[in-house]
Formats: sequence, structure tokens, C-alpha cells
Amino acid sequence: MNMNSLDPRVNRLPVIGKPGQIEPKATLDQFGTFEVFVQPKEGKPFQHEGIVHAPNLEMAFVLAKEAFTRRFMCVSIYVVDTRHVYTSPMTEGNTSVFEFIHETPAQPGEKISYEIYQLVKRGKQHVHAGTVQAVTPQEAMSEAKKVFNTDKVIYNLWAIRTRDIRFTKPEEQELWLTLPEKKFRDASAYKAGDKLTEFLDKQKNQKFYGN
Amino acid sequence: MNELALKELLYKMADDQLILGHRNSEWTGFGPLLEEDIAFSSMAQDKIGQSYALYSILHALGEQEPDTIAFTRHADQFHNCILTELPNGEYDFSLIRHFLYDTAEIIRFEMLTQSSYKPLAELAVKVRAELRYHTLHANTWVKQLGSATEESISRLQHSLEYALPYALGIFEESPYEKELVAEGIFGGEQALKEKWKTKVEEVISQTQLQLPDWKTMQPIFGGRKGKHSEHLQPLLDEMSEVFNIDPTAEW
Amino acid sequence: MYGGGNTFEGIKTDSLAQEDPIKLAEFEARIERGEKIEPTDWMPQLYRKQLIRMIEQHAHSEIIGALPEGTWITRAPGFKRKLSLMAKVQDEVGHGQLLYSAAETLGKSREEMINDLISGKSKYSNIFNYPAFTWADSCFISWLVDAGAIVNQLANAKGSYGPYCRALDRICAEESFHLKYGHHCVIYLATGTKKQREMFQEALNRWWAPMMHFFGPSDKISAHTEVLMKWKVKMSSNDDMRNQFLDMYVPKIWELGFTIPDPNLKKNTETGRWEYTEPDWEEFKRVINGDGPCNKERLEVRRIAEERGRWVREALKAPKAAYVTPLA
Repeated sequence: MNMNSLDPRVNRLPVIGKPGQIEPKATLDQFGTFEVFVQPKEGKPFQHEGIVHAPNLEMAFVLAKEAFTRRFMCVSIYVVDTRHVYTSPMTEGNTSVFEFIHETPAQPGEKISYEIYQLVKRGKQHVHAGTVQAVTPQEAMSEAKKVFNTDKVIYNLWAIRTRDIRFTKPEEQELWLTLPEKKFRDASAYKAGDKLTEFLDKQKNQKFYGN
Repeated sequence: MNELALKELLYKMADDQLILGHRNSEWTGFGPLLEEDIAFSSMAQDKIGQSYALYSILHALGEQEPDTIAFTRHADQFHNCILTELPNGEYDFSLIRHFLYDTAEIIRFEMLTQSSYKPLAELAVKVRAELRYHTLHANTWVKQLGSATEESISRLQHSLEYALPYALGIFEESPYEKELVAEGIFGGEQALKEKWKTKVEEVISQTQLQLPDWKTMQPIFGGRKGKHSEHLQPLLDEMSEVFNIDPTAEW
Repeated sequence: MYGGGNTFEGIKTDSLAQEDPIKLAEFEARIERGEKIEPTDWMPQLYRKQLIRMIEQHAHSEIIGALPEGTWITRAPGFKRKLSLMAKVQDEVGHGQLLYSAAETLGKSREEMINDLISGKSKYSNIFNYPAFTWADSCFISWLVDAGAIVNQLANAKGSYGPYCRALDRICAEESFHLKYGHHCVIYLATGTKKQREMFQEALNRWWAPMMHFFGPSDKISAHTEVLMKWKVKMSSNDDMRNQFLDMYVPKIWELGFTIPDPNLKKNTETGRWEYTEPDWEEFKRVINGDGPCNKERLEVRRIAEERGRWVREALKAPKAAYVTPLA
């Protein structure tokens, strides 16, 4: 293309469409929305980190890995379709969400497992509380109330059917093996204090000796 | 240990990673969707990091500093296969190259975890872990786009046919194949190629893409012996543009 | 990275008259208590609108901001610089992804936002309309433009909207490496050869005016921004942020022996505030309205990236996947 850019990569871009003429992005061409959960350390609970757009669960997993775990610590991630996250109402102040969750009478059907996430401080992330067995998401919330209701105020609950989750497979655990070695993404790798001090000392001496 | 054979092996692997990492980095900021832009960039960074680690082993064996090796040689001193230096083209080609190349790489580094040369065997464990993601990424994408729309299938098919002869150039033999195998440094290009073919067939068979008959393919060799396409020298000139303002300066 | 100087829409305060006064009072009380607003909470239309606008501008600034520095990715000198710059530019794209997601929780889809960017309807930080001529320009951006962005982002991270604050916390944590990397590069240029020093001095000369524009025009507190301040959408005045930036970084630039191209720049020891030549706000307006050195290229590159990716996205569109607003 003929942009005569300072960026050699831009000068290599192909001519496509008409310059300045906008073909709008197709509606919703960014696919579905998937929620991403990260386990920062062995033994620590998973926490909600954000979303990716992807056409399906598997692609969501692949894309989430670098979008959310290319730095800091991570040992495992999982993703779930946003539509498969059941949410409770959001409360505030001293009102715990459990006040709005009523005991569900025993449901007919097979009990399956649900992952329960809770919000302990408004503005923070949802953190994994544990797993419960239930027939419906409502029952899962009601079970969560029995198991996780302490004197702590909880503002919001999420229930996710375990089987809807794309977990990290055992053979994929090594995906984060070299993460701690990628120091170039870490502020601590950029120490130039000595160089600076040496330079400043030299400047000072030059001034002092009028050189 | 046959040091010449070892160095030859290290150079070609390091050069491959450097050049492909460089090519893949050209996508940063231009990707087909933001999430993929990020993923592709990470894999490019991994490759640059891997080449640095391999050049560092070479440095420990008496070769020059990694920066000097990477940024001051002329094209005919590079041993990367031609596949890695080809321009990015459109995303279909970049993806197919990534798939064909990384499928070979993960097998290569899997083999190298058994290398009799300990520093390489130790590095291979780490590189394999990174490549685990690269191949997961490549396979997932190829399966998706290779079975989606008419356009995506035909684009991938076209790129596959174009890239395969170059991909066979990955396995261009070194003058030291026998020594490498005999000394247990590396299991050899032939063994690698056979495993690679099986894996490529396995993934492609899960798509609507057609793999041409291996027998009809003419491998494009030369890269391993320093005979490159017209694309490498301009890439190297670009890569070392700032470095060459003053090669003795610290940047 | 982003520098504030947000262009807020003219606010008609009478639009608030249509809001339910009880809900509005509860909403304001919650912000007053320092609590965050979450996507499912009630919020005034005006709050939603201004937040979308601000977060969207911020997101655009990230993906457009990837371009001037991206100019030097393939030419970064040496392994370390190359890895760092790749990771840094990648982060900018990643921050765009995070910010678009935060804006989406307010009900505007990513593709709508990107359409508005490409069509010029929606703005991004003005500074990215300037070219990065040499390697030293990219070092200036990494150090000082990021430093400016962090001043702005740290302030905004204390704002009232939960998803935006969470995105900013993550972004600030990631960007701490950008700043260090940029400073590291500049120290190497400053303590290096004559040529290297010259390169940075020239970059500084080129980028100082855009840097002063970065935080936006002097804002007189009016009824308009007052409500945004009260709602913790806008967290700090443009002048305050500019002053904070100058306070933190002018001494560091001088320390390295470089000359800032403004003879009037000095700290008033009595007021504790920096004095400087008034930036040329006519140029700022001209550039933000499309007439800068790189506006066309930046949007054209983004347009081409979208066009080239179209077949990929078309192919991936799965009938079963359905777009929904993110949860948090």
C-alpha cells in the first residue's frame, strides 16, 4: 500500500478495500462471551479474571491463556460460556446475598456438581468458594448458603455447572512452566541504577574540575 | 562429543526460532482479532527467547555473544530453513506455517529431552512446555478454519499446498546426521520427519483440507546450507538497522 | 496507555431530571461511601453514557497506541530490547481487550466501538497521531508517554465503576514494567555515545509538545465536569495530572542532562506548581479533529487489520455462540 510509513511492517500491508472507506464490522463478529478463571498458585482458589470473545469453549481456552496468564503467577485456568454462569442478586452495605437465597425444597432428578463463586467485597473479583451437589442452579445456591454462609457478608454468588467448564487438562499443566522465567515482562528486570549513578558521578566530577 | 555436529544443530535450530519469531512479531497490532493478536505475539516472544537460549549455549561453547551472532551475520551465514523466512502473507499462510513448523518443533524438542548433551536436554524440557501451547493453538485454529467456510477452507488449502514443500525443507539433513545419531545428541532429521508426517496427517484428517500425496512433493532445500530466498537479507537488514547505527554501542 | 484529556460530551444537566430521584440518591450515596458500581446496579443514563465514552476512548488509545511503538518492533536492537518491546506492544493490545470488555458491561459491543473508531466517530489519545521517527522516539514513548498514562490511570483506578477499576488495576500492574523498561532504554541512550544522546534529545524535542497536550486542555471546573467528579467518573483535573507528571519526571529528564524545549518551564517554589509555556491548544484541536501527521495512517492501518481479519471472523462465527454482555 502507499502510505509511506515509518513502520516497515505498515509498508508491507496489502492493499485491501478502499482507503478511508469503511466497511463496518459485521454485527457481533466477535462471537460469544466466555468468562475466564485463573488459579494463581497451587492450593489457592481460582478467581475470576475477565472475559474473552471466542466462537466456542475450546477456542476460548486457547485465547484466554495468553490474554490473562502471560505474566505473574499461574498454575491453571478454566473458561466457561457466560450464559452458563448463574448469578444471584447483588447486595450492598451489610446485607448479605444469603438473605435473598431461600431454601429450595428437594428437587427431583440427578444431582450434579456446581462450582460456587462469591464476591466478598464490592469492586473486587469473584473467588471460588467450593463445590456443591444440586439438581438445579437454584438448589446449588441454596446448598451454597448451607455450606458457605459464615458471618462474613457476601454480596453476590455465581453457580457454574462443573461439566460446562473447560478445565486445564493434566498434560497441559506444563503450559506455565517457564512463566516465572519470562523476566522481560517484569519491572524488576530493568535495573539501570548503577549505570545512572556512574553517569551522574562523572557529571559531578566534570563540573567540579571544570572539565 | 562431536562439537562441530552439535554446533551445526544448535545454529540451525536457533536461526529457525529467531527468524520465525521475527516474522510472527510482525503481526503484533495487526491480528485478525484482539485475543489472537495477543496469543500470536506471545508465541513470537517464546521463539525469540528460545533462540536466545540456544545462542547462549553456543556462546558457552566458544561462539560469539548472542546479540553478535543474531544481529551481525549475513544471510548466507544463517542456517534456518527457508520456510521460516518467507513473508507473512495473509493470516492463512502464517497459521499454516505455524502449524507445520511447530508440529515439527515439539517432536524435535521431545526427542532432544533425551539428548546426551545435557545443557540441550535440560533446555528441551522447557522449550517443549512452551511448544505445548504453540501446538494446542495451531491445532485448534487449523481444525476450526479448516472446517468452516468455503473461503477459509480454500485459503488454508492453498497455503498448505504452497507451504508443504518448504516445510519438508525443515528436515534437510546436516552433514553430521550420522554423528548426531551415533552420539545420542539428536535422533536425526529422518526420524523426526516420519513422526511429523503422522502428526500432520492426524490433524489435517480432522478438517476438510486435503493433504497432497507426500510422494508428489518436492522438498525445497538450501536454507540449512546458507542458500536462502531473496526474503532473508532484507529481513536481516531491517532487524539490525538500529544495532548497526553503532554496533559497539550499548542499546 | 492513555492520557486523559477525555473529551466529555456536553452535559445537559436537565437530563438528570428524568431520573428517579430516590434511585439517584441511593446511587450517589453508594459512590459517596466509596463503594463500586457494578454492571447490574441501577445507574443514571448520563453516567452510563459518559463512562462508555471514556472507557471506549481509553481502549482505542491502547490499540492505536500499539502502532507508533510497533514501528520499531522489527528493528529493536538486540535480544533484550526486542523481547521487551514485543511484550510491551502486546500489552497495549491486551489492555485494549480488557478495556473493551469493561465498556461492554455497560451495553456497547466491541464491534460497535471499533466501527466508531474506524469511522472517526470516536476519539483516541491525540499523542498517537505523531510519528516515531527513530528508535529514541520509541524510548520516549515507552518511558514518558507511559508515565503520563500511569498518572491518569492510577487516578481513574480509584473511580466508581467496578469493571473499569478492575481492568485498570491489572493494567497499572502490567505497565509498571513499561515505565521501567522505557527509563532503562533512555538511561542507555543518555549514558551512551554522542550519537545516542543526540537521538534522544531530538526525540525529546519532537515529543514535548504532544506530551504537554497529553493531559488535555486546562479544565475550568464547571457544572459539567462537577457532576462527573462527584460520580467519580473523572478523578482528577487535567492540570493537576499535568502538574503531577511534570513533578515526577522533569527532574529525571534533567538529571540525564537533556534539555526540555521550553525556556519557561520551572517549578514555582511558592505555589509548588509547575509553570510552562501554554501549549498550543489550536494545534491540539486540529490534530484531534483529524489533521495530525499520522491520523490517516493510524486509522487506515486499523481499517486494514479489520479487513484482513474479516474472513477469519466470518469463518469462526458459530451459530451456537451468542454474544452476551460480560458479567463483571
